[in-house]
Amino acid sequence: MDLRGKTGLLIDDVSEMRNAVRIQLADAGIQSCDSVRNVKEAVVKLTARRYDLVVCDYNLGQGADGQQLLELVRRNTLLPLTTAFLMITGETGYEQVSTAAEFAPDDYLLKPFTSDVLATRLSRILDKKEALAPIYKHMGAKGDKALALAACDKVLAEQPRYATDVQRLKGELLLALNRIDEAQALYESVLQQRATPWAAVGKARALAASGKDDEAKDGLQQALAAYPNYLAAYDSLAGLLQKTDKAAAQQIVEQALKVAPSTRRQRQLGSLALENRDFSRAEEAYKRAVDKDRTGFFKSFDDYAGLAKSCSEQGKTQEALAAVKDMGVHFTRTPELAAHQAATEAEVQLKAGNTAAAQAALETALAVCKDANLAPETALAVAQACFASGRTNEAKTIIQAVAEDHHENDEVLAQAQSVFSAAGMQSEGAVFLEATRKRMVKLNNDAVAMAKAGQLDEAVTMLAEAADRLTNNCQVAINAALAVLMQAQKQGPTPEHFAQALRYILQARKVNADHPRLGEVIAFYRKLAPPGTPPIPEQ
Amino acid sequence: MDHLIAAAIHDAKNSLSSLGVWLDKARGEHDSAALHHAADLAARVNAQLVELLALHRDGEGSLRMAVADHNLADFLADLQTELPPGAERVLQVSSAEALGEWAFDAYLVKFVLLDALRNALRHAHAKVKLNAVIEGGTLHIDIDDDGPGFPTIVLQGEQGAMNAHSSGLGLVFARTIAERHRSPDGRHGRIELSNPKGARFRLVLP
Repeated sequence: MDLRGKTGLLIDDVSEMRNAVRIQLADAGIQSCDSVRNVKEAVVKLTARRYDLVVCDYNLGQGADGQQLLELVRRNTLLPLTTAFLMITGETGYEQVSTAAEFAPDDYLLKPFTSDVLATRLSRILDKKEALAPIYKHMGAKGDKALALAACDKVLAEQPRYATDVQRLKGELLLALNRIDEAQALYESVLQQRATPWAAVGKARALAASGKDDEAKDGLQQALAAYPNYLAAYDSLAGLLQKTDKAAAQQIVEQALKVAPSTRRQRQLGSLALENRDFSRAEEAYKRAVDKDRTGFFKSFDDYAGLAKSCSEQGKTQEALAAVKDMGVHFTRTPELAAHQAATEAEVQLKAGNTAAAQAALETALAVCKDANLAPETALAVAQACFASGRTNEAKTIIQAVAEDHHENDEVLAQAQSVFSAAGMQSEGAVFLEATRKRMVKLNNDAVAMAKAGQLDEAVTMLAEAADRLTNNCQVAINAALAVLMQAQKQGPTPEHFAQALRYILQARKVNADHPRLGEVIAFYRKLAPPGTPPIPEQ
Repeated sequence: MDHLIAAAIHDAKNSLSSLGVWLDKARGEHDSAALHHAADLAARVNAQLVELLALHRDGEGSLRMAVADHNLADFLADLQTELPPGAERVLQVSSAEALGEWAFDAYLVKFVLLDALRNALRHAHAKVKLNAVIEGGTLHIDIDDDGPGFPTIVLQGEQGAMNAHSSGLGLVFARTIAERHRSPDGRHGRIELSNPKGARFRLVLP
């Protein structure tokens, strides 16, 4: 691969290193290279444009590291899969770099290195990226996993050199598409050839997805004995244990933290320790999360709220209130912040016996919740504070709204369930949430059945009412748009039809641009729209 | 004390790394055979420290293998760039292109093989062969030389067999690293030494 003409971004907090590597990159042929000092500048650059390659030092100062930055930008899709990511590290950092977490760098390079070695590695990664490009094309935010899967087979036939990489992607795609048996068969066929960590963990994930949790756990334990540095195995095992044995899950997260530090895992540890009523350990974990990350990019409201709760449970009210205050220092003033702060303060004051202060804080939280369209996590934090103050009905109203908006999102439903569980209403909460979910599914199904039976006007009325009420429910908005378009198709299209359909499409896209059925309805709109109809704006 | 040992090795490695930078600079200004040898020697001492540190951590139970897939052809190509001067004249590498990927700790295995290669180059008459094959679900990496072969005492597994060139550290390190490579089904790696013609060092990885 010729590196000339490729664009690069170099991230290193030490200016001498930045200059030295920049010269080496130029030696390797990369003339067009931006260089930045820290996470903030890197995020700005990556938001503004896309690069062919990123070269990042593991140690970024300010309590940040290259691995956390990589996770952040891959999760936020700021860094497309087609961009190569090379991590450079000193020998002491190498163990942490080579841990194969969910988001791993494409390669890593130990300092010191020569320009030749840098060029060889970069061109190797870029060759691979080019070979896999037909698959990556369908894996982005607006991608179609089924097409990505088909591309895998094509690349597998044409580029045997990258067979392992394609098999890995294929396994991930099969799991994501819920084609569990095929995923398991793929991992088993790889393992028949040779032992390798990704296939061992993949097989365990397939077993877990088909409900064989015990077999999955055994597989992961064995994998960890052989591959103690493989973070993805700790994450999968902790996830499984969390369902049945939170103390064991806590232990696994502690082990993972010994392998590599990360703010996200400190938070996970803090949350498990809170649930296990291991308050001093929770305090320690949350304290690390808020103290270590001085960039502010990796910590969240939850870290301060968790710190406040773990202090409060130990009777350290002053420390707990200080954590609530610190939350306000570290995050921008938004309704989300105000709600989190007030909800947490309400719980702390209540625990300390200050009923009046608790009530005042809760009123503030509820007022924000009513006025602003809060993220589900924030609304649930307010619901939790309501439960703590005995205001069960208000808590349930909030949770119901969250569950109606996110009835397809298992993660949000699990969070809602844990709010019920924390209030000692585990089984009541499960019934409540399941009923809400079923009601939403039924609403969608009934409307779709009506539309299919030709009762389009009734379907449109029903879905439009629901979509206007539940503005954060992606599926309802998509179905409403579909019904309106079907009506247009049958009864002759009018500009009003398209205006209404477009409104629902945009409403759906705002909630979840990745919804698997969004592409279908957009295509239908474009097919029906006569010339002169307003087009769907690009994102 | 244990902590001191690790810290002291780290310090020494950092100094060596600085020494390497100075040697590079000196070679950039005026290269010579002497500087070349000095740089090679610095690399060797660094390798010994890496081995010592790994063994120390193994003894403490804190050595964690970083096992991941590596393309064998790329790995063997990278390895050759780190050999001492003149090695390319004697070393033959069989093509590993068709072997694809294998899961192992590339950093530690690199030091195992570099050590074995240096040893083979020292004892070879004219030729050293580096060859990788996959047999029955295991990877064999063989280093063959056409020298006098391993002394009997080494073949019998005496690890402390010291002589003027070797403290025996390299072999202890190689055996430890091979053994620490495990598969989830409980197999583990090993080192096999034999004298088919010259000496053959074989690393077997599950």
